[in-house]
Amino acid sequence: MSLEKVTLGHGSGGRLTQDLIQVILSVFPKKNLTSDLEDCALIWEKIGVTIDSFTVSPRDFPGGDIGELAICGSANDLAVRGVKPQFITMSVVAEEGFHIDELTRYMKSASSICQKLGIQLVAGDTKVVPKGHVEGLFITTCAVGERVTPAPLGMNLLQPSDTIIVSTSIGRHGAAIGASRFDLNPEDLKSDCAPLWPALEPLLKIDGLRCMRDCTRGGLGTVMCEWAEGRQLGVTLSEEGIPIRSSVQSVCDILGFDPLYLACEGCAAIGVDPKDADKVLNILRENPLCQEASIIGSVTEEHKGMVALQTKIGGMRVVDMPVGEMLPRIC
Amino acid sequence: MKFINMPNRAMQKSDKKSNPFKASFTAQHVIEAIGQRISKPLTFMEVCGTHTVSIFRSGIRSLLPEELSLVSGPGCPVCVTDQGEIDCAIDILDMPQITVATYGDMLRVPGTKSSLSERKSEGKDVRLVTSAAQALSIAENNPEREVVFLAVGFETTAPATAATVLEAREKNISNFSILSYHKQTPPVLEQLVQDPDLKIDGFILPGHVSVILGHNAYRFIAQKYKIPCAIAGFEPMDILLAIADLVFQHANGQAVLHSLYPRAVRPEGNQKALSMIDRVFTPCSARWRGLGEIPLSGYMLKEEFSSFDTLLRFQITLTSPPPPAGCRCGDVLAGHIRPLECPLFAKRCTPMTPVGPCMVSSEGSCSAYYKYNRGGESPWKKSHLATEVADD
Ligand code: SF4
Repeated sequence: MSLEKVTLGHGSGGRLTQDLIQVILSVFPKKNLTSDLEDCALIWEKIGVTIDSFTVSPRDFPGGDIGELAICGSANDLAVRGVKPQFITMSVVAEEGFHIDELTRYMKSASSICQKLGIQLVAGDTKVVPKGHVEGLFITTCAVGERVTPAPLGMNLLQPSDTIIVSTSIGRHGAAIGASRFDLNPEDLKSDCAPLWPALEPLLKIDGLRCMRDCTRGGLGTVMCEWAEGRQLGVTLSEEGIPIRSSVQSVCDILGFDPLYLACEGCAAIGVDPKDADKVLNILRENPLCQEASIIGSVTEEHKGMVALQTKIGGMRVVDMPVGEMLPRIC
Repeated sequence: MKFINMPNRAMQKSDKKSNPFKASFTAQHVIEAIGQRISKPLTFMEVCGTHTVSIFRSGIRSLLPEELSLVSGPGCPVCVTDQGEIDCAIDILDMPQITVATYGDMLRVPGTKSSLSERKSEGKDVRLVTSAAQALSIAENNPEREVVFLAVGFETTAPATAATVLEAREKNISNFSILSYHKQTPPVLEQLVQDPDLKIDGFILPGHVSVILGHNAYRFIAQKYKIPCAIAGFEPMDILLAIADLVFQHANGQAVLHSLYPRAVRPEGNQKALSMIDRVFTPCSARWRGLGEIPLSGYMLKEEFSSFDTLLRFQITLTSPPPPAGCRCGDVLAGHIRPLECPLFAKRCTPMTPVGPCMVSSEGSCSAYYKYNRGGESPWKKSHLATEVADD
C-alpha cells in the first residue's frame, strides 16, 4: 500500500504503525540498521538503548502522569530485554504558555521513578514552540543500560510449546485513559503505569526465559501478533487465562473496545520454556505489582504466523493486529 | 472440542466477579442441543452490528454446525449512512467557522471525495464525542463557532439527540444544529423480509434497540411473514441461546417473537425515551446506504425545532451519488452476500483502505470478517464460508 499521509491511525501501534515504520526504515541502507527490531537495541553486545516519545491526553490520569510515564516507558523497554536501566536522557518540548508549576510536577514524578530505579539523568534538551504547534507538552526519553543476562533475550528464541505468561492484568492504562477521555469514572480503575525492572530482574537467571515485551501501544494482542509473525510460529491464547479486571472490562463493554488491544504501561508478556513456567509465575507473584500474573497461552507449530484465541465458550478465533485508532462505538 | 491443553492454573481468575452470562459452562450443552435439533440448513440474520462483533469475538461461528449460517444485517449505524450524507457533512465542514461533532467511526467513512478524518488532518475542526450532550457543550463553550452535530444511530441514540435539542432550545443556544441521519429499525426489516431473493429463516433482533422499542414493533415479522424472531443480549451466551431458540422454533414448526433479553427489555419498551423521540422528531423517508430510499424510516426534526435543523439552516439539499465502482455494501447490508463475496473484499477494500463503511465501522460486517478471519485466512473458518469466496 502506498502511504500518502500520516493519520492518527498510524500512531495506534498496530498494522498501520508497522507500515509507517517500514516507510521510515526503507530509506536507510541495511548496514545502517540493527537487525532485530525489538523495542530496545543491543549495541556492542552488552549495551541496551531505546528511545520513546510521550504525548498523552490527559497528562494527569488515574494512576500516573506523563512524567512518570516518560521514565517507565523507556526503562521498561530496557527491562524486558534483560537490560538494567541505568542512564536516561530527556527532551522536553513545551507549548508557549505552559505552566511551570505543571511542568515541575511532572518532573518530580519522573525524578521519583529515576530514584526508585537508580537511574541517572545524564543529558537533556528543552524546546519551546509557539502556541498551537504542540498540544501542551511532549517528552522524549532515551534510556541506556547494561545487559544482565548471559545471552540476549529476544523473540528469535521462542520455540514451539513455549509457555506465554503475562505479568499482570491487561489493558489498565488504555482503559484509564479512555475512561478519562470519555468522562467515564469506574471505581478502582487506574493505569498500571509502573517500572517493571524490580519484578523482572529476578527472572533473568532462569535458563528457560526466552523473551519479554512490555505491552504498550497496541496492547497484548499486538505483541502476540508480532511474535507469531516475527517467528512464523503460531500462538494460541486462552481467553479464560487472560487476567482482565472488571473495571477494564466494563469500560470496554461501554465503548466497544477489545481489552486485548488496550495499552498497558506496566505489564510484560513473557515467553518461557514450559519447564520453567511455574518458576516464572511464582517469582512474579512475589512482587506486589504482579499478583495477577497468569499463564495465558503457548507457542505452537500450527497456524503459523497467526494468533488464535480459545474463547470462554470454547470457540476459536483469530487475533489480528488492530488497524487504525480505537474509536468508541455508537450503538 | 479441545484445542489447547493448558494446565488448570492457566485459568487463574483475576478479580472479575462471576457473571453467568460470560463464562458459561452450559455453552457446550446449548451447542449440542442446537446440533441435535437442526434438521435442515438454516440461515439466521443478526440485525445488529454489536451482535456481529460479539459473534466473531467469541468464536461462535467455529462452534456452530455446518448447516447453520449467520449473516449480518443492516444494524450498524455507520454502515447504513449514505455516501451523500457524508458528502453533505463535509460540505458543511468546509464552510467558515464550522465545527462538526460526531461519534467515533463516522470520521473514517469515505464520502465521494474525502472523509471527515481526512478533512480533520487538513486542519478542519472535527470533534469526536460520545454523546449529543457533549456536542451541545462544545457549542456553549465556543459561541463564535457554528457547531453541527452529525446525529446517527437507531432508536437507541435518537432519544438522547431529542433531549439535547430540547436542552438547546431551553438554553437558547443559537449556534447549535443537528444533521439528523437517525434511522428506524422496523421499516428496514420490513423491506428486507419483503425481498423475494432474501432467504432468512430467523432474526436475532437487536437488544439495545428493543430496550427502547419493546416487543410490538417487531411482531409483524413473525405474525405476517412467519419468520421466527429472538431478541437477544450481547454476551456470547445470550446469542447462543437466541440461535438455539430459532432452531427450536423451526424444529417445532413455530414462528413467534421471543425475548431472550428480559433482564433489559420490557415488553412495552422505554416509554420515556419513545415520548422524547415523539416530542422532537417526526418520521420521514430516509436514504440507506446501498438499500435506497425507505419510506418513513428516518427521523426529521418537527417544524417547531426547524431552527436546529442543519439542512434548513445552511440551505443544503442531500444528494445521492452512486456508490464506488464494485462496492457491494448494499448487498452485504441486505444479507444477499457475505463480505467475502464482494470482489473488493481484502483486495482493494481493507480496513487500511476502506471503500465502503462496512469495512470502516468497528461493528461493520466487512471489518469483522476481515479482522476475525484475517481477510478470509482463518484456519477455523467453516468450509461453507470458504466455498463462498468469489472468484474474480
Ligand atoms: S468489502 Fe468493502 S466495498 Fe465490499 S461490501 Fe464490504 S465495505 Fe463495501
